[in-house]
Amino acid sequence: MRGFELVRPATLEEAIRLLDTDDPTVRPLSGGTAIMQMMKTGIFKPSRLVSLSSLAGDHSAITLDDKGFLSIGAMTTLAAVEHSQVVLQHAPLLPKVMKRLANVRVRNAATVGGALAHGDPHMDLPPVLAALDAEVIAQGPGGQRRIPVADLYAGYFETVLQRGEIIASVSVPPRNGCNSVYRKTTTRTADDWPALGVATSLGRGEGVLQHVRLFASAATERMTRLGSAEAHLRGNRPEAKLLEEAGRIAAQEVEVIDDAHGSAAYKVALVAVQVRRALHEALQQGSEQ
Amino acid sequence: MVCNDMNDKAAVVRRIRFRLNGRQREAQVASHENLVDLLVRLDLFGARESCGQGLCGCCTVLVDDIAVSGCLTLAQLVDGCEVHTVEGLAEKGKLDFVQQAFIDEGAFQCGFCTPGFVMMTHELLKRIPEPSEPEIREYLSGNLCRCAAYPEIIRAVQTAARNRPDPAGVAGEHA
Amino acid sequence: MNIRPELTNHQIGRSVPRLEGPEKVSGRASYVHNLKLPGMLYAKIFRSTVAHGRILSIDVSAARMMEGVEHVFTGEDVKTIVPNPYFGPAFHDQPVLAIDKVHFVGEPVAVVLARDPYVAAEAAQLITAEYEELPAVFDEVEAMHSKAVVHEELKPAGTFPDLKHLAGRKDTNIALDYHLRRGDPVAGFAQAVHVFEHEFRTQQVMHVPLEPMVTLAEPHHNTIIIHTASQSPSFVRIEIARLLGWPENRVQVKVPHLGGGFGAKLYIKLEALAACAALLAGAPVKVMLPMEEQFYTITKHASTFRIKSGVDHEGRLLARHCEVYWNGGAFADIGPRVTQKSGFTAPGPYDIDNVSIDSYALYTNRPPAGALRGFGIPQLVWAYESHTDIIAHELGIDPIEFRRRNILRDDRPQATGTPMTDAAVDAVLEKIAECMQWESGSRRKSDDPTKRFGRGMAIGFKASISPTTSVAVVNVAADGSVVLQLSTVDMGQGSDTAMAQIVAEILEVAAEDVRIVHPDTDVTPYDMATLGSRSTFHMGHAVRLAAEDAKRKLEELAHAMGFTDHAVWQPRDLFRRKYGMQAGNVIGVGTFIPEYRSPDPENGQSDKVTPFWMIGGTGVELEVDVETGHFRILRMINVADLGTPLNPRIVETQLSGASMMQLGFTMFEEMRLDAGQVTNASLADYKIPGIQDVPDAIENEIVAAHQSNGPFGAKGVGETATFGVSPAIANALFDAVGVRLTQLPLTPEAVFMAMRAKEGAASGV
Repeated sequence: MRGFELVRPATLEEAIRLLDTDDPTVRPLSGGTAIMQMMKTGIFKPSRLVSLSSLAGDHSAITLDDKGFLSIGAMTTLAAVEHSQVVLQHAPLLPKVMKRLANVRVRNAATVGGALAHGDPHMDLPPVLAALDAEVIAQGPGGQRRIPVADLYAGYFETVLQRGEIIASVSVPPRNGCNSVYRKTTTRTADDWPALGVATSLGRGEGVLQHVRLFASAATERMTRLGSAEAHLRGNRPEAKLLEEAGRIAAQEVEVIDDAHGSAAYKVALVAVQVRRALHEALQQGSEQ
Repeated sequence: MVCNDMNDKAAVVRRIRFRLNGRQREAQVASHENLVDLLVRLDLFGARESCGQGLCGCCTVLVDDIAVSGCLTLAQLVDGCEVHTVEGLAEKGKLDFVQQAFIDEGAFQCGFCTPGFVMMTHELLKRIPEPSEPEIREYLSGNLCRCAAYPEIIRAVQTAARNRPDPAGVAGEHA
Repeated sequence: MNIRPELTNHQIGRSVPRLEGPEKVSGRASYVHNLKLPGMLYAKIFRSTVAHGRILSIDVSAARMMEGVEHVFTGEDVKTIVPNPYFGPAFHDQPVLAIDKVHFVGEPVAVVLARDPYVAAEAAQLITAEYEELPAVFDEVEAMHSKAVVHEELKPAGTFPDLKHLAGRKDTNIALDYHLRRGDPVAGFAQAVHVFEHEFRTQQVMHVPLEPMVTLAEPHHNTIIIHTASQSPSFVRIEIARLLGWPENRVQVKVPHLGGGFGAKLYIKLEALAACAALLAGAPVKVMLPMEEQFYTITKHASTFRIKSGVDHEGRLLARHCEVYWNGGAFADIGPRVTQKSGFTAPGPYDIDNVSIDSYALYTNRPPAGALRGFGIPQLVWAYESHTDIIAHELGIDPIEFRRRNILRDDRPQATGTPMTDAAVDAVLEKIAECMQWESGSRRKSDDPTKRFGRGMAIGFKASISPTTSVAVVNVAADGSVVLQLSTVDMGQGSDTAMAQIVAEILEVAAEDVRIVHPDTDVTPYDMATLGSRSTFHMGHAVRLAAEDAKRKLEELAHAMGFTDHAVWQPRDLFRRKYGMQAGNVIGVGTFIPEYRSPDPENGQSDKVTPFWMIGGTGVELEVDVETGHFRILRMINVADLGTPLNPRIVETQLSGASMMQLGFTMFEEMRLDAGQVTNASLADYKIPGIQDVPDAIENEIVAAHQSNGPFGAKGVGETATFGVSPAIANALFDAVGVRLTQLPLTPEAVFMAMRAKEGAASGV
């Protein structure tokens, strides 16, 4: 891992310019916790790392606009999200998820933008933000565009971000009375990466489920929207039987992978249980309010 | 991290300036060196690279008052920063309240992971002055002790919280 | 004598805080990890990528050309200074660097030396090797009859007399076959009303000391200094001297603090490579493994245990047959001793008249296995206590009641014929029953219908490794201050503190005032090694004898200096009177080797196979999530007979620490192999217990006991709490959800799949 260039552009524009190359050995570095691991294990040998740390000043603000949209700068550390009062008030699931996301030191260094751009299906943040209908604002040589977090992933460690494109911020819409839950299942130690992550967001009206978002991660090659299960729930009364069925449908539609966390057969069974439990938990939250 | 500008492009080796345990230091640093490499060159051995992946916490140091894994931090990026290591805690050889609590509770065996736990405990007590057991477990879940002195470590954190000299003074300790 | 009349407190039995505490909490304790020397070169090992193969060629030219690389060495270079460069405690089977063939994925093949460790690492990636692949064997049972043979010829080291008969044996992977026969097993089984037979397996795991293995060798004119993170400095000195053909006094081995050992840093590991590389390079060489490479260096035996028992109509065990296969990997290390020394306890702490044991150490093409906290005992207890639980349930007898009927009591002889003297098996069993309120059947019930409560327990025992020698020196300076020189390695177990307490008790000083000299073979005398919970007993006695020797010499000096029997004096008065100034020393020496009689090679019988027994048990209460197989340990109770504790607090930490380590081996730790390649050699994928994995409650109980031949009634404790953990958890899982797991680790998936299989069987699917 010797001999690479470490550059620290002062502006986003300069960073984009430095990253606008076909060379796969040129990559951005934000918190660095994931990239450093890849470098140390020899998976990634950079020729140039573009450190975004100097952008932290301009791109780590957490703000709320008058329509209730929460904006989180991409260079915001996960710890800053964890401890933000604004986030606690407007997206209370995020600080809750942080408590079991990696560890304190990683959260102190890792950034929201980095955690989304990395593309590792074992990350907790993507399904959570997807369930919250969040969008990333990506800035690239051709300008700015908005990408729903739900559509950010093209495959295993692969995003839809284009050459030179950097996530500038994340926008989380108002909750509109929805309740959101993330359930993380580990199969080895408690502090392990998830074997399965399930995120859901539910909104009720006139006794039926009107707003339904359901995502699975970790057990899958990339974060996956559980569309059939969502459709089964939408417009129906949230009774125990329905939730059970949704879990079963989710287990049928999701493509899980065998890995060190467990066999595919086991993880399919986990999906059915954890989807049902996540839905229950979200509804329970709703009825407590 | 609030760091100085780093403008020149040929950044493979670079001279950095930073404060280490309260003293200004300068060092010639290659781009691939991590913070533990740098500290070892400066004869500080309390932060130790063990798992090399930020998972065990043996290399915990504070950069601008925030706990990070030294093994995952590129040393060039601490240019302009304030770095604190376990060696800076004891003043004139007198152990600080966290270190003393670890001794009082027998909260270690081989001692290799101990500086990391001590540094994390400092950060924990800054955030939560009187942590509950679940909060202690949550906060220290990223530090591993193969001797598994965990029950004693939990007690040491509780003892440290009780024996903390002056909360205001401690918060300003590294300022 | 009354050296310190004001000091009335006893030093033994006092919870003296660890002497090295201030150094450890301040990050200033010295580890080899920290050591740097002028001109030092860093080594990076190039390792085999095939499990078994003949080396056709090794190309180091590109690495050698790389800027910053000082040297690249292969086995051929090593041979120029060590003609027969094979080492090992039981067999001389391990080459310093591979010669002619490789035996597992990860075997050291070449080494790069550079001043910059990053340069060395990069250069090692430029080395290539070609192999002619040979058939490989990975499973210990298959290795018994496999056509793939790991070593062409067995080469016993000659260190242990009971391995000599294996010299020159060919075409076999059996490094040792150990057999014990007691009574008439055939007749015993014939009389039995019920016969039970089961097979249990354990997985390969690793010690994971957080200070990865490290050695720094420093060559001088005609000597070599080896700074090493080792549990056995005396053995390293002897083995390096043997390899080099030098007398022992030209090899100096120094050991500062160890960042964990657990058996990983025993005998000889990196020292031979570091020494050879340093001598070839003519410069200090530091071999420092990254975490990943520890997995290729030493591990814990995977095992298969077939156990068969015959029981009479009253639930008394009449006969037991034990067949144990130990997966030793590519090099025997100390595996043959595990096979024998642990093997003879395979029937468990039960009073059985008719016993047969066949225990086999097998070579396979996996990373080598050796000693790991318990020396094979946890693998055995896992099997015999799961088996015991099954028998009790099948017979409809309460598991504790079944044990009561069968445990070894009152000095009854164990399978070897050695009596179980000072072995509180019954007290440990009863203490577990009491703590768990077993009889009153206190069972928690969850309101959550997806949760099931379960409880289980297990007991086990271990012999000490004998016969082994310890020597200690107590040096009293002219001001009366005391230094203790010993080669016991304090790797966290607290031996420095405990040994200081023994000296302090005898010389009537405070333990805190005794200074310990860490192992340095130029200064500290011989000790067999820090292993197998032997130090408290063996070194404890040597230290006691050394302190008593010093005390006697002080008293003689007092007499000679004209002090009467009743006079009150301080040691400094004696020196001053004798030498006219503050000068001189009194040196006390203690040597200890316990009584031992070798077992009969035919039937394994001996009336003194160990100087003491360690007894441990664990009780577990847990809650299973029936929908996912996850389980949470609500309460874990470790009970131990460790004689009289020298330092109760350190002892308690040892108990809970050992039980947590075994909890990791029970619940999730597992080296995964694909064609011999370890696929999870990092803490990202080999997970060890963290603080969130600690059970809701851990309780440690020490039963009232006294080891009559131990120093101050004490005996070893470092491994005792590992014994019962795995079967206690498996037994509790059975109690909770009615499934029996026979293979470690007990993952949520394993529990879930077993429950599903049981449901399927019940519903006829």
